[in-house]
Amino acid sequence: MIDPEAGRAERADQVPAGDGGSVVRAREFVGGIVAVEPAMGDSLLLTMSAPEQMVRQLRAGRFFEVLCRDDASYDPLLRRPFSVFRSDPTASTLTFLVRPYGRGSAWLAERPVGTRLDVLGPLGNTYEIPPRARNLLLVAGGVGAAPLVMLADEAVRRGLSVTFAMGAAGAAGLLEPSLLPSEVEYVVATEDGSKGHRGYVTEVLADYVRWADQIFACGPEPMYRSLRAAIQPLRVGGKPPVQISIERAMACGVGACLACVVETRHGTQASCVDGPVYDLDEVIW
Amino acid sequence: MTEGRAPRGTPAAAGIDLSVDLAPNNPHELRLSNPVIAASGCFGYGQEYAGVIDVQRLGAFVSKGVTPLPRRGNAMPRIAEGPAGMLNAIGLQNPGIRGFVKKYPRVWANWRVPALVNISAESVEDYAMMAAVLDEEPGIAGIEINVSCPNVAQGGYCFGWDAEMSAEVTRAVRAATTLPVIVKLSPGAVDIVGVALAVEEAGADAVSLINTLVGMAIDVKRRRPVLANVTGGLSGPAIKPVALRMVYQVAAAVRVPVVGMGGIMGLDDALEFFLAGASAIQVGTAIFAQPGMVIRLIDGLEAWMAKEGVASLAEIVGAAQPQEKSQVVGAEDADLALGAVAAG
Ligand SMILES: Cc1cc2nc3c(=O)[nH]c(=O)nc-3n(C[C@H](O)[C@H](O)[C@H](O)COP(=O)(O)OP(=O)(O)OC[C@H]3O[C@@H](n4cnc5c(N)ncnc54)[C@H](O)[C@@H]3O)c2cc1C
Ligand SMILES: Cc1cc2nc3c(=O)[nH]c(=O)nc-3n(C[C@H](O)[C@H](O)[C@H](O)COP(=O)(O)O)c2cc1C
Ligand code: FES
Repeated sequence: MIDPEAGRAERADQVPAGDGGSVVRAREFVGGIVAVEPAMGDSLLLTMSAPEQMVRQLRAGRFFEVLCRDDASYDPLLRRPFSVFRSDPTASTLTFLVRPYGRGSAWLAERPVGTRLDVLGPLGNTYEIPPRARNLLLVAGGVGAAPLVMLADEAVRRGLSVTFAMGAAGAAGLLEPSLLPSEVEYVVATEDGSKGHRGYVTEVLADYVRWADQIFACGPEPMYRSLRAAIQPLRVGGKPPVQISIERAMACGVGACLACVVETRHGTQASCVDGPVYDLDEVIW
Repeated sequence: MTEGRAPRGTPAAAGIDLSVDLAPNNPHELRLSNPVIAASGCFGYGQEYAGVIDVQRLGAFVSKGVTPLPRRGNAMPRIAEGPAGMLNAIGLQNPGIRGFVKKYPRVWANWRVPALVNISAESVEDYAMMAAVLDEEPGIAGIEINVSCPNVAQGGYCFGWDAEMSAEVTRAVRAATTLPVIVKLSPGAVDIVGVALAVEEAGADAVSLINTLVGMAIDVKRRRPVLANVTGGLSGPAIKPVALRMVYQVAAAVRVPVVGMGGIMGLDDALEFFLAGASAIQVGTAIFAQPGMVIRLIDGLEAWMAKEGVASLAEIVGAAQPQEKSQVVGAEDADLALGAVAAG
């Protein structure tokens, strides 16, 4: 299902060199789908072409807003946000992990190779690996695995130790181990016991929390609450710190509409520009 | 300085004049290089889109609604979607007029694109106070009054639904500033033509319409309204036919320029609004979906005019109005038109 010719990204010339090093400005661009592969049960990995310089500077946590409709249709009207799962500067592509959920993501999941996608991005901030951190614990729930795979790639490249923990209802909902760098220790739990620990992943984290210098998480909001409850007794003075990625319904993606706000200790923030990554202790639930 | 400063009707270099003056009766004038404006609440304070599109090419932009005091906005979720439309209940989250003037006008003063400031308040005095504050500031090309706000002195009845209340706000703002003043009409008005005529009489340099229509969505699984605020403002293609009808009726009645908006997604929609009688248009929700569209719209309009042999926009503004009405139309005629619609 790989078609390297399908739609090299257009308007690459408009991509600026990036302001201040790592953060590339958002652009609206069109890129072609070059590969679609099944992953994680009913989800799939969708790879599209994108401007090379943009791909080169992508960092874990950033996301793109995809227009999930045909040219002749106005439904759904607004774009849908998707985190970057993986980027490949050599091929000039980026990959999303898409779970068909409602009409927008279902439309996207049905697109064949060759489809040209209208995409806005990269948007948002990034997960930040603290300079002195050696041991990283990544906790994924569902498609929340996407930005954490990108982060695992980054961390392994920097020679850091990574434990990737993931829970799901059954084995089919787990990320295939082959999608993670081989250096990563993969810890899994399933509610039906079909793979790994029977129960929630938060029940097996104790040793890893003590080991970790930094925790990164991405998943639904209830997962953050149970994660916080599970690790709170193990943390000393807020350590290890936890960075999470927050999911909000979005319209503009650039801080203009204030649809996506999050209450934090620093006030009300637009999670599409000040987030989606926040320190767990900063967010007011 | 810009080509927009050329006198009205003077063809630009390409032989096509896209410029428009939205305040011909005001000594300050409100001359735009082209008739494409980014709508309030859909373009932040202009800076948010600065990296995404060439903001300076717009005819103008309208900043997010500012209020007398800072507002935190509504609880989440603040948006939902319907067929070809979106509902928003942002709740006018903004830093308040004092915080606003410290931050934005000085940035805009260095911009080529005219910045219009959208103001919202719950009393006539507060509208006037904000206009007086803005009058002192550099970098502001004009004020757009959002009258779709509850009038606390009238038990929360929306200013914009009532001709006299809308006129009162307009008079107070007019007295407080010499800046061009656009009054943004509410589609919730029982008689929007009556409101338009009243604000024109009260000193509005132009009228813009429409603001969002009140709607809601229900989450069947949760059996609850989707929006925390229960109701929200409907915008996007879903409201275009209603917006177009209102622009057509208002343009037939008033002499001041009309700025049309509501569901404009591209050139064809924009042309409909011009033909209905709009001298300029605003684009809101479509910017969220396709920010680059507003720039393509300017280029597309120029190309269309060249192809159709239209030298100046004025040639097509209101061209869809009945011919005999295109000169002077009174309120009675517009009321007749309203009646005809209601009967249909
Ligand atoms: C920063 C970010 C990154 C994401 N990354 C991924 C990813 O990598 N892979 C993936 O599969 N999904 C991801 N999502 C979620 C994805 O965007 C949603 O699944 C998608 O928007 C749902 O749209 P839909 O049309 O499929 O569903 P619909 O049911 O049609 O749409 C859901 C409706 O609810 C709104 N909505 C969407 N999400 C929320 C929410 N969290 N809370 C409240 N309302 C919401 C939408 O605006 C829409 O109106 C991410 C979301 C965010 C904010
Ligand atoms: C998210 C959002 C916020 C808005 N905020 C304001 C506002 O602060 N003041 C105002 O006068 N109109 C506001 N509007 C209304 C728009 O300016 C415009 O009148 C309306 O959306 C119709 O145009 P559209 O269909 O092109 O979006 C807002 C609209 C949206 C979608
Ligand atoms: S989505 Fe518009 S401000 Fe975040």
